[in-house]
Amino acid sequence: MECDRASALLHPLIDGELGFLGRQRLLRHVARCGGCAGRLSELQALQTALRTKLQYHRAPPALAARIGAAIARESPSLAPARRRLFGRGSGVPAGFGLAGGLVGAAAGVALTLLVTGAPIRPESDMVSAVLDSHVRSLLPNHLTDVVTSDRHTVKPWLSSRVDVSPPVRDLAEEGFPLVGGRVDYVDGHQVGVVVYRHDRHIINLLAWSSPGKADEGLKTQSRQGFNLITWRKGGVTFWAVSDLEIGELRKFALAIAAAG
Amino acid sequence: MNEPQGRPAVQDDRRRRFELLALPHLDAAYNLARWLAGNSADAEDVLQDAYLRAFRYFDAFRGGSDIRVWLLSIVRNTFLSWVKENRSNRLVFIPDDRGADATEPAETMWGETPRDPEALMLQSADAGMLNRLVEDLPTEYREVLLLREVEEMSYRDISAVVGVPIGTVMSRLARSRAMLRHRWHTQSAKEASHGV
Ligand SMILES: [Zn+2]
Repeated sequence: MECDRASALLHPLIDGELGFLGRQRLLRHVARCGGCAGRLSELQALQTALRTKLQYHRAPPALAARIGAAIARESPSLAPARRRLFGRGSGVPAGFGLAGGLVGAAAGVALTLLVTGAPIRPESDMVSAVLDSHVRSLLPNHLTDVVTSDRHTVKPWLSSRVDVSPPVRDLAEEGFPLVGGRVDYVDGHQVGVVVYRHDRHIINLLAWSSPGKADEGLKTQSRQGFNLITWRKGGVTFWAVSDLEIGELRKFALAIAAAG
Repeated sequence: MNEPQGRPAVQDDRRRRFELLALPHLDAAYNLARWLAGNSADAEDVLQDAYLRAFRYFDAFRGGSDIRVWLLSIVRNTFLSWVKENRSNRLVFIPDDRGADATEPAETMWGETPRDPEALMLQSADAGMLNRLVEDLPTEYREVLLLREVEEMSYRDISAVVGVPIGTVMSRLARSRAMLRHRWHTQSAKEASHGV
């Protein structure tokens, strides 16, 4: 392979876009060519610098409320009586004409997300409940009650609040660092949740006791752009939910399940 | 409980589904809008407009496809029409592709002899300077770089967001990296000569 061709392929190489054979051929060239090896290390350095140093602008909290309100104006809504916040956002009056401030801002979005009452879809089931817990967790300030990457803090915190705590593991080396934990409500019950992440993807791991039920292997499903994996072991039901790509989420679930 | 009938219930269901899907990507959408628009006030206007558009066309979104790709392409298109209305005197997109799929040999841009110590220097590059250099890239180079390095999108997804062939994504990425590298060296040399 000549250097012109190799140089052009260095970009798809660092972007993970080369197939196995193409990668092998290019790396063979790079191993013998100092010029291309230098270009490669410089490209990789630039990529690392960009990935760690480019500013990530997060949406201001009030913007979610502003957008929620604009969308609400576009679509006639249900009678206010049916609106109900559940979970920890209580004490906030219904409607979008809320007072300003962070609570109001988050609630403006939460309201329509968390409208419950009679199930909207008949197939609304545990999947929806788990999914709702995940989506709620993505709202500002809802992700964790205890934020720490130290599992020796999360574990006792959860154990003192719920019967069953999901496994709290140190999976940072596998690419799934611990973010924290929270107590959530799923299907009307208090449930312990341990939060991990993979890059920018949040993974919620839920667990509750299902006494007397048989063990079940990993079951995978996708719903509304999210992936969910559930399994049962030793009378405990586990759910992992994320917008992470399914193969990666499966790796995570396997690591958790293997650890017990 | 009285179940509301007809249109309002359907509307609420639609809105709820939209928010379930679209709001988790608010940060990604905002980040793109902010990097495109260059300031937060404009980014917020663009984003609100984009989300409204997305909501109106939500029925056209096919389940199973990637909502982030769909949303980001709407954010981008909204930004472009916003530019037309508000910054008509400023040329944002410089046509560079010379035919649909001109893959410029990266070597011409990356042609100087690489210097290994420079790889090390890049690693310790000043974050402020790097951000400014990216801000100064022409929009069509800045956007592919952001989608790749910040959103970590595949070439295929970037091509769907930007609406150009994959080969163009690849050549724009190569050029944006070459421009960045070149400008970074120039800037560093300038600061060094000023004794910074
Ligand atoms: Zn070579």
